[in-house]
Amino acid sequence: MFFQQLLNGLTTGSVYALIALGYTMIYGILGLINFAQGEIYMCGAFVAVLLLATGAVNFFLAFVLGMSAAALLGVALERIAFRPLRGAHPLVPLISAIGASIFLQSLALILFGPNDRPFPIQFHFRTINLAGLPLSTLQGAILGAALGFMGLLVLFVRYTKYGKAIVACALDRDTARLMGINVDRMVSLTFFIGSALSGAAGIMMAIYYNGTYPRMGLLPGLKAFSAAILGGVGSIPGAIIGGLILGVAESLGAAYLSSGYKDGIAFAILILVLLLRPQGILKGRGD
Amino acid sequence: MTAYVLHLAILAGIYIILTLSLNLIIGYGGQVSLGHAAFYGIGAYASALVSLHWHFPWPLAALSAMVVAGACGLGLGLPTLRLKEDYLAVVTLGFGVIMDLVFLNLEITGGPDGLVGIPAPNLLGVSLRPPVLYLGLVYFLVGLTLALVWRLVNSYHGRALKAIRDHEVTAQVMGINTPAYKVAIFTLAAALAGLAGSLYAHYISFINPESFGLHTSILILAMVVLGGMGSIIGSVVGAVALSLLPEMLRQFHGYQDLVYGAILVGLLIWRPQGLLGRGKLSLKFVTRERG
Repeated sequence: MFFQQLLNGLTTGSVYALIALGYTMIYGILGLINFAQGEIYMCGAFVAVLLLATGAVNFFLAFVLGMSAAALLGVALERIAFRPLRGAHPLVPLISAIGASIFLQSLALILFGPNDRPFPIQFHFRTINLAGLPLSTLQGAILGAALGFMGLLVLFVRYTKYGKAIVACALDRDTARLMGINVDRMVSLTFFIGSALSGAAGIMMAIYYNGTYPRMGLLPGLKAFSAAILGGVGSIPGAIIGGLILGVAESLGAAYLSSGYKDGIAFAILILVLLLRPQGILKGRGD
Repeated sequence: MTAYVLHLAILAGIYIILTLSLNLIIGYGGQVSLGHAAFYGIGAYASALVSLHWHFPWPLAALSAMVVAGACGLGLGLPTLRLKEDYLAVVTLGFGVIMDLVFLNLEITGGPDGLVGIPAPNLLGVSLRPPVLYLGLVYFLVGLTLALVWRLVNSYHGRALKAIRDHEVTAQVMGINTPAYKVAIFTLAAALAGLAGSLYAHYISFINPESFGLHTSILILAMVVLGGMGSIIGSVVGAVALSLLPEMLRQFHGYQDLVYGAILVGLLIWRPQGLLGRGKLSLKFVTRERG
């Protein structure tokens, strides 16, 4: 029972972590909380689900196209709703993001209707015994894919030129510009990567909960945002750890404390952690 | 038709009080709150509960709402206001989500069904049930709030707050007790939001958690930012504009939210400092070092 809850928590937590990576990277480079991240997550899921429903593409192509659609939406969003507001008070882009999120949610509502769509293809997942613990292959696949994406991101940031340029921009945008880095392009790239990860998270959750609907991004978005702050905003390992901690805490809290307060547990932990360690669990920016 | 206009005017008045109170936190305290609707809800429930269970007359119920909401503001503000902006944003966001769940799960608040039959105010033997009279009460209190905020921000204390907003360290060096001011303004704003909650509860006579959730917090915040942070008239304009906008968008049947979101983004791109915000204010934030 305990291990089952732990696994459930790790699975949702790894998805929160993927979204949190988008928040933390964007925050690291622009100091901006992108409240529309949940809608990007929703967009990824919808594109994949709609493509699969046509029956013309296979699962992996749909997954990649869903991620790409989310990534392009993220880049477009930055161009339209955030770039003109660079330099304004930080709350102004926040409200702009909220406006964009209202817009995208209602667009999805108009295009796809309010009904919950089940995932169009069936997977045959089993429960396997892993050293005496029951592990559903679905959870295993989600955890594995999420950790894989995180690993790729860490490698990208640490060992590629573009990754290092993003870190440079996060550390000091003006100095990075002086060093010949095209800051605007790095910002677009950050939005591209962060949004692609959120899109992937959306598709995985659409499979896990077998549902896609216009408001699906709201709560995961808020929780991922908290996860990013919990881990120390701007820190990539922090976002991963923060997401996993939140997922596990939520799952255990719902099982052993009260399921009515499930969605509040993440925030209660967050408030406690911030009071004790105001800089987040892993302090840092942009590494 | 007249009844409908009166209804909108009363709601706009309640939003003016909410926006003014949040603007105190953001535009003068230099703090962020993403959970302001929680205090609005606390006020509404407190006022409704003391009226229903203890039959408090309305002025006392409204006072209780202010005291309870203010106390919650103090309780939240004391430990958290030392956090920097972004963290405070999450803490208040979390507080809003948690309070929403508390309203939804507690027995005394009636759970998802909420509370019904909240009595209309009765002042000197006159029932304020007719909307025209209620409108009078709401705008009398809007006037009082405006006067209070106006007096406050143009006083010694107001100048101290502006100093903290513009540069906290300098303000501290000048001998301003910055933590005390931040907590005080947060508490006052929470109490005012509680008053707005009481006005709402006794007007609608039925409350449930839906009215005090995240979207309400965001709406109030959007009103402040759109009107212009730190501008009192801006708060009034922002509150009226965003509470009437959905009504004006009725012709876009089914596309209301779509147009609403687009207008919000468009207005901010057009005027990042808000409709009536001072350019000076946003310039200061440009030059201010971030992180």
